[in-house]
Amino acid sequence: MPFFARTQEPPSAPLVIVHSSVNIKQLSHAQLRSIYMMRQVLWPDGTAIKVFVLPNRSELHLQFSRQQLQLFPYQLDRVWQKLTYSGTGTPPTEVADSAKMRELVASTPGAIGYIETGNEITELQIVLIQP
Amino acid sequence: MKLLSYRLSSSSLKPIALMVLALTTHSAVAEDWTWHGFLSQGLIQARDSNFVNNDGDASARLTEIGVNSVYKIDNDLKVSGQLMYLNGGNRFVDGVRIDYLFLNWTPYNTLDWQLDLYLGRFKNMHWAYSSTRDVALTRPLIVLPQSVYFDSFRDIAVGSDGLAVRSTHNLAIGELEFIWSWGATPVSRDMSRRVISTDVLGETDQKFVHQASAYWRPSESQMQWGLSLLDSDFSYRKAELDHYFDGDFTVQRTMFNWRYSAEHWELTSEIMQERVNVKGFIFPQLVRNQFAQGTFLLARFDWSEFTSWYLSYDYFIANKDDPSGSQLPLTSGGFIPSYFGYQRDAAISVDHEVAENFRLKLEYHWIEGTGRLGPNVVPDVVVNQHRTHDIWALQLLYWF
Repeated sequence: MPFFARTQEPPSAPLVIVHSSVNIKQLSHAQLRSIYMMRQVLWPDGTAIKVFVLPNRSELHLQFSRQQLQLFPYQLDRVWQKLTYSGTGTPPTEVADSAKMRELVASTPGAIGYIETGNEITELQIVLIQP
Repeated sequence: MKLLSYRLSSSSLKPIALMVLALTTHSAVAEDWTWHGFLSQGLIQARDSNFVNNDGDASARLTEIGVNSVYKIDNDLKVSGQLMYLNGGNRFVDGVRIDYLFLNWTPYNTLDWQLDLYLGRFKNMHWAYSSTRDVALTRPLIVLPQSVYFDSFRDIAVGSDGLAVRSTHNLAIGELEFIWSWGATPVSRDMSRRVISTDVLGETDQKFVHQASAYWRPSESQMQWGLSLLDSDFSYRKAELDHYFDGDFTVQRTMFNWRYSAEHWELTSEIMQERVNVKGFIFPQLVRNQFAQGTFLLARFDWSEFTSWYLSYDYFIANKDDPSGSQLPLTSGGFIPSYFGYQRDAAISVDHEVAENFRLKLEYHWIEGTGRLGPNVVPDVVVNQHRTHDIWALQLLYWF
Protein backbone atom coordinates (compact mmCIF):
# COMPACT_ATOMS: atom_id res chain seq x y z
CA MET A 1 0.00 0.00 0.00
CA PRO A 2 1.39 3.42 -0.88
CA PHE A 3 2.12 6.06 1.71
CA PHE A 4 -0.01 9.17 1.39
CA ALA A 5 -0.63 10.74 4.77
CA ARG A 6 -0.25 9.92 8.42
CA THR A 7 -3.02 11.18 10.63
CA GLN A 8 -2.10 9.43 13.88
CA GLU A 9 -1.46 11.50 17.00
CA PRO A 10 2.23 11.37 17.88
CA PRO A 11 2.73 9.11 20.92
CA SER A 12 4.94 10.09 23.87
CA ALA A 13 8.64 10.18 23.13
CA PRO A 14 10.42 6.91 24.01
CA LEU A 15 12.67 6.97 27.07
CA VAL A 16 16.41 6.96 26.54
CA ILE A 17 18.13 4.48 28.84
CA VAL A 18 21.78 3.85 29.68
CA HIS A 19 23.74 1.30 31.69
CA SER A 20 23.91 2.13 35.40
CA SER A 21 27.67 2.88 35.15
CA VAL A 22 27.14 5.76 32.69
CA ASN A 23 27.42 9.04 34.54
CA ILE A 24 25.15 11.12 32.28
CA LYS A 25 21.80 12.56 33.39
CA GLN A 26 20.83 14.57 30.34
CA LEU A 27 21.72 15.05 26.69
CA SER A 28 20.60 17.43 23.98
CA HIS A 29 18.89 16.13 20.83
CA ALA A 30 22.06 17.01 18.89
CA GLN A 31 24.28 15.08 21.33
CA LEU A 32 21.98 12.07 21.20
CA ARG A 33 22.01 12.32 17.40
CA SER A 34 25.84 12.31 17.40
CA ILE A 35 25.77 9.11 19.45
CA TYR A 36 23.22 7.40 17.17
CA MET A 37 25.04 8.57 14.05
CA MET A 38 28.03 6.72 15.56
CA ARG A 39 30.29 9.78 15.55
CA GLN A 40 30.33 10.15 19.32
CA VAL A 41 31.88 6.88 20.41
CA LEU A 42 33.09 7.62 23.95
CA TRP A 43 31.37 8.81 27.13
CA PRO A 44 33.10 11.75 28.88
CA ASP A 45 34.90 9.30 31.23
CA GLY A 46 36.47 7.51 28.22
CA THR A 47 34.24 4.43 28.29
CA ALA A 48 33.22 3.17 24.84
CA ILE A 49 29.57 3.80 23.98
CA LYS A 50 27.66 0.69 22.95
CA VAL A 51 24.61 1.66 20.89
CA PHE A 52 21.54 -0.57 20.61
CA VAL A 53 18.63 -0.11 18.19
CA LEU A 54 15.39 -1.86 17.38
CA PRO A 55 14.66 -3.08 13.84
CA ASN A 56 14.14 -0.36 11.29
CA ARG A 57 10.44 -1.10 10.83
CA SER A 58 9.58 -1.18 14.54
CA GLU A 59 7.05 1.51 15.56
CA LEU A 60 9.14 2.34 18.63
CA HIS A 61 12.23 2.89 16.49
CA LEU A 62 10.23 5.20 14.23
CA GLN A 63 9.03 7.22 17.26
CA PHE A 64 12.53 7.35 18.73
CA SER A 65 14.07 8.48 15.43
CA ARG A 66 11.48 11.18 14.81
CA GLN A 67 11.02 12.55 18.32
CA GLN A 68 14.36 12.07 20.04
CA LEU A 69 16.79 12.19 17.10
CA GLN A 70 14.64 14.40 14.86
CA LEU A 71 15.54 12.17 11.93
CA PHE A 72 13.63 9.66 9.83
CA PRO A 73 14.78 6.04 10.01
CA TYR A 74 15.94 6.05 6.38
CA GLN A 75 18.32 8.94 7.19
CA LEU A 76 19.84 6.91 10.02
CA ASP A 77 20.11 3.88 7.75
CA ARG A 78 21.94 5.94 5.15
CA VAL A 79 24.42 7.25 7.73
CA TRP A 80 25.10 3.74 9.04
CA GLN A 81 25.54 2.30 5.54
CA LYS A 82 27.90 5.12 4.62
CA LEU A 83 29.98 4.47 7.74
CA THR A 84 29.96 0.72 7.19
CA TYR A 85 31.01 0.76 3.53
CA SER A 86 33.49 3.63 3.71
CA GLY A 87 35.21 2.19 6.78
CA THR A 88 34.71 5.32 8.86
CA GLY A 89 32.56 3.67 11.51
CA THR A 90 30.51 0.69 12.55
CA PRO A 91 26.72 0.47 12.71
CA PRO A 92 24.86 0.00 16.01
CA THR A 93 23.80 -3.40 17.28
CA GLU A 94 20.24 -4.29 16.35
CA VAL A 95 18.13 -6.16 18.92
CA ALA A 96 14.86 -7.96 18.30
CA ASP A 97 12.52 -6.24 20.75
CA SER A 98 12.20 -3.95 23.79
CA ALA A 99 12.70 -6.77 26.31
CA LYS A 100 16.04 -7.68 24.72
CA MET A 101 16.95 -3.98 24.55
CA ARG A 102 16.37 -3.59 28.33
CA GLU A 103 18.31 -6.75 29.08
CA LEU A 104 21.34 -5.79 26.96
CA VAL A 105 21.50 -2.15 28.07
CA ALA A 106 21.30 -3.29 31.72
CA SER A 107 24.10 -5.83 31.28
CA THR A 108 26.51 -3.96 28.93
CA PRO A 109 28.79 -1.27 30.42
CA GLY A 110 28.59 1.95 28.35
CA ALA A 111 25.33 0.89 26.68
CA ILE A 112 22.56 3.19 25.46
CA GLY A 113 19.10 2.29 24.13
CA TYR A 114 15.43 3.27 24.34
CA ILE A 115 12.15 1.85 25.61
CA GLU A 116 8.47 2.80 25.70
CA THR A 117 7.31 5.25 28.35
CA GLY A 118 5.41 3.80 31.32
CA ASN A 119 7.85 0.93 31.85
CA GLU A 120 9.10 0.14 35.33
CA ILE A 121 12.78 1.13 35.45
CA THR A 122 15.14 -0.97 37.49
CA GLU A 123 18.88 -1.53 37.01
CA LEU A 124 18.85 1.19 34.34
CA GLN A 125 19.26 4.95 34.20
CA ILE A 126 16.98 7.27 32.30
CA VAL A 127 18.63 10.13 30.40
CA LEU A 128 16.62 13.31 30.00
CA ILE A 129 16.68 14.62 26.41
CA GLN A 130 16.46 18.39 26.12
CA PRO A 131 16.38 20.76 23.14
CA MET B 1 21.59 -9.63 -31.30
CA LYS B 2 24.73 -11.03 -29.80
CA LEU B 3 24.74 -12.90 -26.57
CA LEU B 4 25.65 -11.10 -23.36
CA SER B 5 29.22 -9.91 -23.62
CA TYR B 6 30.68 -11.14 -20.36
CA ARG B 7 33.76 -13.27 -20.13
CA LEU B 8 35.80 -14.17 -17.12
CA SER B 9 39.16 -15.87 -17.12
CA SER B 10 40.03 -18.47 -14.51
CA SER B 11 42.52 -16.05 -12.90
CA SER B 12 39.84 -13.41 -12.44
CA LEU B 13 37.40 -15.98 -11.03
CA LYS B 14 39.71 -16.94 -8.18
CA PRO B 15 39.50 -13.71 -6.17
CA ILE B 16 35.75 -13.57 -6.84
CA ALA B 17 35.35 -17.07 -5.49
CA LEU B 18 37.24 -16.08 -2.34
CA MET B 19 35.03 -13.05 -1.91
CA VAL B 20 31.84 -15.03 -2.47
CA LEU B 21 33.06 -17.52 0.10
CA ALA B 22 33.51 -14.69 2.57
CA LEU B 23 30.09 -13.30 1.65
CA THR B 24 28.31 -16.57 2.26
CA THR B 25 29.31 -16.48 5.90
CA HIS B 26 27.26 -14.19 8.09
CA SER B 27 28.36 -10.78 9.23
CA ALA B 28 30.68 -11.52 12.13
CA VAL B 29 30.53 -9.11 15.00
CA ALA B 30 33.08 -9.49 17.74
CA GLU B 31 33.92 -6.89 20.36
CA ASP B 32 36.93 -5.53 18.44
CA TRP B 33 36.46 -6.97 14.95
CA THR B 34 33.54 -6.32 12.58
CA TRP B 35 32.90 -7.70 9.08
CA HIS B 36 30.40 -6.56 6.45
CA GLY B 37 29.99 -6.99 2.72
CA PHE B 38 27.83 -6.69 -0.36
CA LEU B 39 27.25 -8.39 -3.67
CA SER B 40 25.36 -7.02 -6.63
CA GLN B 41 24.93 -8.25 -10.17
CA GLY B 42 22.96 -6.73 -12.97
CA LEU B 43 22.27 -6.43 -16.65
CA ILE B 44 22.86 -3.18 -18.46
CA GLN B 45 22.53 -1.94 -22.01
CA ALA B 46 23.80 1.43 -23.22
CA ARG B 47 22.57 1.74 -26.78
CA ASP B 48 24.37 4.02 -29.28
CA SER B 49 27.22 4.92 -26.92
CA ASN B 50 30.47 3.49 -25.52
CA PHE B 51 29.27 3.88 -21.90
CA VAL B 52 29.36 0.12 -21.15
CA ASN B 53 30.78 -1.45 -24.31
CA ASN B 54 31.50 -0.49 -27.90
CA ASP B 55 28.83 -2.64 -29.57
CA GLY B 56 25.85 -1.39 -27.57
CA ASP B 57 24.66 -4.90 -26.68
CA ALA B 58 23.17 -5.90 -23.33
CA SER B 59 25.88 -6.88 -20.90
CA ALA B 60 26.31 -8.46 -17.49
CA ARG B 61 29.24 -6.15 -16.80
CA LEU B 62 27.48 -4.69 -13.79
CA THR B 63 29.12 -6.46 -10.88
CA GLU B 64 30.09 -5.03 -7.50
CA ILE B 65 31.37 -7.31 -4.75
CA GLY B 66 33.02 -6.15 -1.55
CA VAL B 67 34.00 -7.34 1.86
CA ASN B 68 35.22 -5.01 4.59
CA SER B 69 36.44 -5.12 8.14
CA VAL B 70 37.12 -2.73 11.00
CA TYR B 71 39.53 -3.75 13.75
CA LYS B 72 39.44 -1.70 16.94
CA ILE B 73 42.97 -1.47 18.33
CA ASP B 74 41.91 0.87 21.11
CA ASN B 75 38.93 3.13 21.85
CA ASP B 76 40.53 5.88 19.75
CA LEU B 77 42.42 3.81 17.15
CA LYS B 78 41.01 1.59 14.41
CA VAL B 79 42.13 -0.04 11.16
CA SER B 80 39.60 -0.29 8.32
CA GLY B 81 39.90 -2.01 4.98
CA GLN B 82 37.73 -3.09 2.06
CA LEU B 83 38.52 -5.46 -0.79
CA MET B 84 36.39 -5.06 -3.89
CA TYR B 85 35.78 -6.62 -7.25
CA LEU B 86 34.21 -4.32 -9.84
CA ASN B 87 33.22 -4.89 -13.42
CA GLY B 88 31.50 -2.04 -15.23
CA GLY B 89 32.70 -2.59 -18.80
CA ASN B 90 34.09 0.63 -20.25
CA ARG B 91 32.93 2.61 -17.19
CA PHE B 92 35.95 1.80 -15.04
CA VAL B 93 38.86 -0.62 -14.76
CA ASP B 94 37.62 -4.10 -13.88
CA GLY B 95 39.21 -6.41 -11.34
CA VAL B 96 40.00 -6.78 -7.66
CA ARG B 97 41.28 -3.75 -5.75
CA ILE B 98 41.92 -2.52 -2.24
CA ASP B 99 39.14 0.03 -2.08
CA TYR B 100 40.35 1.51 1.19
CA LEU B 101 42.83 0.63 3.93
CA PHE B 102 43.53 3.22 6.58
CA LEU B 103 44.32 3.94 10.19
CA ASN B 104 41.61 5.99 11.93
CA TRP B 105 42.75 7.96 14.99
CA THR B 106 40.16 9.84 17.07
CA PRO B 107 42.16 12.33 19.16
CA TYR B 108 39.11 14.27 20.35
CA ASN B 109 35.64 12.86 21.01
CA THR B 110 33.37 14.87 23.27
CA LEU B 111 29.59 15.25 23.27
CA ASP B 112 29.80 18.39 21.09
CA TRP B 113 32.99 17.93 19.07
CA GLN B 114 34.36 14.90 17.28
CA LEU B 115 37.68 14.91 15.47
CA ASP B 116 38.97 12.03 13.30
CA LEU B 117 42.19 11.57 11.34
CA TYR B 118 42.53 9.02 8.54
CA LEU B 119 45.92 7.90 7.25
CA GLY B 120 46.30 5.53 4.29
CA ARG B 121 43.96 4.87 1.37
CA PHE B 122 40.62 6.49 2.22
CA LYS B 123 37.42 7.18 0.27
CA ASN B 124 36.50 10.62 -1.04
CA MET B 125 34.17 11.92 1.70
CA HIS B 126 33.49 15.32 0.17
CA TRP B 127 30.46 14.86 -2.11
CA ALA B 128 26.94 13.58 -1.42
CA TYR B 129 27.53 10.04 -2.75
CA SER B 130 31.31 9.95 -3.27
CA SER B 131 32.39 7.77 -0.35
CA THR B 132 30.20 4.82 -1.36
CA ARG B 133 29.52 5.49 -5.06
CA ASP B 134 30.58 1.94 -5.92
CA VAL B 135 28.37 0.29 -3.27
CA ALA B 136 25.06 -0.32 -5.01
CA LEU B 137 22.86 -0.36 -1.91
CA THR B 138 23.99 3.14 -0.89
CA ARG B 139 23.32 4.67 -4.33
CA PRO B 140 19.97 6.13 -5.29
CA LEU B 141 20.55 5.15 -8.94
CA ILE B 142 22.43 2.35 -10.67
CA VAL B 143 24.10 5.03 -12.84
CA LEU B 144 24.71 8.18 -10.81
CA PRO B 145 24.41 11.65 -12.42
CA GLN B 146 27.46 11.81 -14.67
CA SER B 147 27.90 15.60 -14.46
CA VAL B 148 29.26 15.14 -10.93
CA TYR B 149 29.99 11.38 -10.73
CA PHE B 150 31.73 10.92 -14.09
CA ASP B 151 32.37 7.17 -14.27
CA SER B 152 35.46 7.42 -16.50
CA PHE B 153 37.07 9.42 -13.71
CA ARG B 154 35.74 7.13 -10.98
CA ASP B 155 38.99 5.31 -10.21
CA ILE B 156 40.80 8.60 -9.64
CA ALA B 157 38.00 10.45 -7.82
CA VAL B 158 36.81 7.64 -5.57
CA GLY B 159 39.59 7.95 -3.00
CA SER B 160 43.20 8.86 -2.31
CA ASP B 161 46.36 7.64 -0.66
CA GLY B 162 47.19 10.30 1.91
CA LEU B 163 45.76 12.05 4.96
CA ALA B 164 42.19 13.18 5.74
CA VAL B 165 40.68 15.00 8.72
CA ARG B 166 37.02 15.22 9.71
CA SER B 167 35.70 17.51 12.42
CA THR B 168 32.05 17.65 13.52
CA HIS B 169 30.60 20.27 15.86
CA ASN B 170 27.22 20.59 17.57
CA LEU B 171 26.45 24.30 17.86
CA ALA B 172 23.34 26.41 18.57
CA ILE B 173 22.91 27.00 14.82
CA GLY B 174 23.04 23.27 14.09
CA GLU B 175 25.63 20.73 13.13
CA LEU B 176 28.78 21.78 11.27
CA GLU B 177 31.12 19.33 9.62
CA PHE B 178 34.50 20.08 8.06
CA ILE B 179 36.49 17.61 5.98
CA TRP B 180 39.96 18.14 4.59
CA SER B 181 42.11 15.72 2.64
CA TRP B 182 45.39 15.62 0.75
CA GLY B 183 46.75 12.71 -1.28
CA ALA B 184 47.04 11.14 -4.71
CA THR B 185 45.88 8.07 -6.61
CA PRO B 186 48.19 5.82 -8.67
CA VAL B 187 47.00 6.08 -12.29
CA SER B 188 47.40 2.97 -14.44
CA ARG B 189 47.55 3.10 -18.22
CA ASP B 190 44.14 1.43 -18.36
CA MET B 191 42.73 4.28 -16.25
CA SER B 192 44.44 6.88 -18.49
CA ARG B 193 42.82 5.33 -21.54
CA ARG B 194 39.38 5.83 -20.01
CA VAL B 195 40.08 9.41 -18.93
CA ILE B 196 42.48 10.93 -21.49
CA SER B 197 42.46 8.98 -24.74
CA THR B 198 41.99 5.38 -25.83
CA ASP B 199 45.42 5.28 -27.48
CA VAL B 200 47.75 6.77 -24.83
CA LEU B 201 51.05 4.92 -24.45
CA GLY B 202 52.84 7.10 -21.89
CA GLU B 203 52.62 7.40 -18.11
CA THR B 204 50.07 9.51 -16.24
CA ASP B 205 50.71 10.64 -12.70
CA GLN B 206 48.38 12.39 -10.29
CA LYS B 207 50.75 14.74 -8.46
CA PHE B 208 48.23 15.58 -5.74
CA VAL B 209 44.56 16.08 -5.00
CA HIS B 210 43.68 18.57 -2.30
CA GLN B 211 40.06 18.76 -1.15
CA ALA B 212 38.09 20.59 1.53
CA SER B 213 34.39 20.63 2.29
CA ALA B 214 31.94 22.02 4.83
CA TYR B 215 28.45 20.81 5.63
CA TRP B 216 25.78 22.57 7.68
CA ARG B 217 22.67 20.85 9.02
CA PRO B 218 20.61 23.62 10.66
CA SER B 219 18.85 22.89 13.98
CA GLU B 220 15.15 21.98 13.76
CA SER B 221 15.49 21.59 10.01
CA GLN B 222 15.51 18.71 7.55
CA MET B 223 17.86 20.50 5.18
CA GLN B 224 21.56 20.05 4.59
CA TRP B 225 23.85 22.49 2.81
CA GLY B 226 27.35 21.72 1.62
CA LEU B 227 30.30 23.30 -0.18
CA SER B 228 33.29 21.38 -1.48
CA LEU B 229 36.48 22.43 -3.24
CA LEU B 230 38.98 20.32 -5.18
CA ASP B 231 42.38 21.08 -6.68
CA SER B 232 44.41 18.45 -8.48
CA ASP B 233 47.39 18.32 -10.85
CA PHE B 234 48.31 15.55 -13.28
CA SER B 235 51.22 15.04 -15.63
CA TYR B 236 51.59 12.92 -18.77
CA ARG B 237 55.03 11.75 -19.89
CA LYS B 238 55.00 10.41 -23.41
CA ALA B 239 56.36 7.03 -24.38
CA GLU B 240 59.34 6.80 -26.74
CA LEU B 241 56.99 6.25 -29.68
CA ASP B 242 53.75 8.08 -28.91
CA HIS B 243 50.96 9.96 -30.71
CA TYR B 244 50.99 12.54 -27.93
CA PHE B 245 53.45 14.87 -26.21
CA ASP B 246 54.35 15.57 -22.60
CA GLY B 247 51.46 17.37 -20.93
CA ASP B 248 50.23 18.83 -17.66
CA PHE B 249 46.63 18.94 -16.52
CA THR B 250 44.98 20.88 -13.70
CA VAL B 251 41.45 20.13 -12.48
CA GLN B 252 39.76 22.47 -10.00
CA ARG B 253 36.19 21.91 -8.88
CA THR B 254 33.84 24.05 -6.79
CA MET B 255 30.61 22.38 -5.80
CA PHE B 256 27.53 23.15 -3.73
CA ASN B 257 25.13 20.54 -2.55
CA TRP B 258 21.72 20.62 -0.93
CA ARG B 259 19.29 18.06 0.44
CA TYR B 260 15.79 18.22 1.88
CA SER B 261 14.42 15.16 3.65
CA ALA B 262 10.72 14.56 4.33
CA GLU B 263 9.29 11.40 5.83
CA HIS B 264 8.39 9.74 2.52
CA TRP B 265 10.27 11.79 -0.05
CA GLU B 266 13.60 13.54 -0.48
CA LEU B 267 15.28 15.98 -2.87
CA THR B 268 19.03 16.12 -3.46
CA SER B 269 20.95 18.47 -5.72
CA GLU B 270 24.58 19.19 -6.47
CA ILE B 271 25.88 21.95 -8.71
CA MET B 272 29.49 22.26 -9.79
CA GLN B 273 31.93 24.25 -11.88
CA GLU B 274 35.15 22.55 -12.93
CA ARG B 275 38.18 24.26 -14.43
CA VAL B 276 40.24 22.00 -16.67
CA ASN B 277 43.57 23.41 -17.78
CA VAL B 278 45.60 21.50 -20.37
CA LYS B 279 49.18 22.40 -21.28
CA GLY B 280 50.83 20.41 -24.05
CA PHE B 281 49.77 16.81 -24.66
CA ILE B 282 48.03 17.22 -28.05
CA PHE B 283 50.85 19.48 -29.32
CA PRO B 284 53.62 21.03 -27.21
CA GLN B 285 52.42 24.65 -27.45
CA LEU B 286 48.79 23.94 -26.53
CA VAL B 287 47.33 25.89 -23.59
CA ARG B 288 43.61 25.28 -23.08
CA ASN B 289 41.63 26.63 -20.14
CA GLN B 290 38.00 25.60 -19.96
CA PHE B 291 35.24 25.80 -17.36
CA ALA B 292 32.74 22.93 -17.34
CA GLN B 293 29.48 23.18 -15.42
CA GLY B 294 27.01 20.58 -14.23
CA THR B 295 24.07 20.05 -11.95
CA PHE B 296 21.50 17.43 -11.08
CA LEU B 297 18.24 17.28 -9.18
CA LEU B 298 17.25 13.91 -7.79
CA ALA B 299 13.89 13.14 -6.19
CA ARG B 300 13.01 10.03 -4.19
CA PHE B 301 9.47 9.05 -3.30
CA ASP B 302 8.61 6.09 -1.07
CA TRP B 303 5.64 4.38 -2.68
CA SER B 304 5.42 1.86 0.15
CA GLU B 305 7.51 0.41 2.96
CA PHE B 306 9.37 -1.72 0.41
CA THR B 307 9.26 0.27 -2.83
CA SER B 308 10.79 3.64 -3.78
CA TRP B 309 10.74 5.62 -7.00
CA TYR B 310 13.49 7.97 -8.17
CA LEU B 311 13.46 10.72 -10.78
CA SER B 312 16.59 12.52 -11.84
CA TYR B 313 17.58 15.25 -14.27
CA ASP B 314 21.27 15.80 -14.89
CA TYR B 315 22.77 18.57 -17.04
CA PHE B 316 26.41 19.02 -18.06
CA ILE B 317 28.19 21.45 -20.36
CA ALA B 318 31.87 20.98 -21.15
CA ASN B 319 32.54 24.68 -21.75
CA LYS B 320 30.41 27.34 -20.06
CA ASP B 321 31.18 29.77 -22.91
CA ASP B 322 29.89 27.30 -25.50
CA PRO B 323 26.90 25.46 -23.93
CA SER B 324 25.66 24.06 -27.26
CA GLY B 325 29.13 22.84 -28.27
CA SER B 326 28.89 24.78 -31.54
CA GLN B 327 32.57 25.77 -31.41
CA LEU B 328 33.79 22.17 -31.10
CA PRO B 329 33.60 21.24 -34.83
CA LEU B 330 35.30 24.54 -35.70
CA THR B 331 38.17 24.23 -33.24
CA SER B 332 38.75 20.53 -33.96
CA GLY B 333 38.75 20.79 -37.74
CA GLY B 334 35.44 18.93 -37.92
CA PHE B 335 36.79 16.04 -35.85
CA ILE B 336 34.50 16.53 -32.80
CA PRO B 337 30.73 17.01 -33.30
CA SER B 338 28.93 19.71 -31.29
CA TYR B 339 27.01 17.17 -29.16
CA PHE B 340 30.26 16.35 -27.32
CA GLY B 341 29.89 19.77 -25.70
CA TYR B 342 26.97 18.85 -23.44
CA GLN B 343 24.96 16.01 -21.91
CA ARG B 344 21.37 16.00 -20.60
CA ASP B 345 20.13 12.89 -18.84
CA ALA B 346 16.56 12.26 -17.64
CA ALA B 347 16.28 9.09 -15.55
CA ILE B 348 13.60 7.10 -13.79
CA SER B 349 14.33 4.27 -11.38
CA VAL B 350 12.47 2.01 -8.99
CA ASP B 351 13.74 -0.29 -6.26
CA HIS B 352 11.97 -2.95 -4.29
CA GLU B 353 13.12 -4.92 -1.25
CA VAL B 354 12.35 -8.46 -2.26
CA ALA B 355 13.53 -9.93 1.04
CA GLU B 356 15.57 -8.82 4.04
CA ASN B 357 18.90 -7.45 2.72
CA PHE B 358 17.91 -8.18 -0.90
CA ARG B 359 16.89 -5.37 -3.25
CA LEU B 360 15.99 -5.26 -6.92
CA LYS B 361 16.52 -2.09 -8.97
CA LEU B 362 15.28 -1.21 -12.44
CA GLU B 363 16.31 1.97 -14.23
CA TYR B 364 16.07 3.85 -17.51
CA HIS B 365 18.03 6.90 -18.75
CA TRP B 366 17.24 8.97 -21.82
CA ILE B 367 20.32 11.00 -22.79
CA GLU B 368 21.04 13.77 -25.25
CA GLY B 369 24.67 14.72 -25.89
CA THR B 370 27.88 12.80 -25.27
CA GLY B 371 29.83 15.29 -23.13
CA ARG B 372 30.15 12.83 -20.23
CA LEU B 373 31.24 9.77 -22.16
CA GLY B 374 34.89 8.86 -21.78
CA PRO B 375 37.60 9.54 -22.63
CA ASN B 376 37.50 13.16 -21.62
CA VAL B 377 40.47 14.83 -23.35
CA VAL B 378 40.32 13.07 -26.75
CA PRO B 379 36.73 11.84 -27.15
CA ASP B 380 35.79 8.58 -28.82
CA VAL B 381 34.13 9.92 -31.97
CA VAL B 382 34.25 6.52 -33.68
CA VAL B 383 31.77 4.77 -31.37
CA ASN B 384 29.82 7.79 -30.12
CA GLN B 385 28.20 8.83 -33.38
CA HIS B 386 24.71 9.49 -32.01
CA ARG B 387 23.47 12.70 -30.41
CA THR B 388 20.86 10.78 -28.40
CA HIS B 389 21.34 7.48 -26.66
CA ASP B 390 19.87 5.60 -23.72
CA ILE B 391 20.64 3.17 -20.91
CA TRP B 392 18.50 0.59 -19.17
CA ALA B 393 19.72 -1.48 -16.25
CA LEU B 394 18.48 -4.10 -13.82
CA GLN B 395 20.41 -4.98 -10.66
CA LEU B 396 19.96 -7.39 -7.76
CA LEU B 397 21.69 -6.42 -4.52
CA TYR B 398 22.55 -8.34 -1.37
CA TRP B 399 24.37 -7.00 1.66
CA PHE B 400 25.25 -8.02 5.20
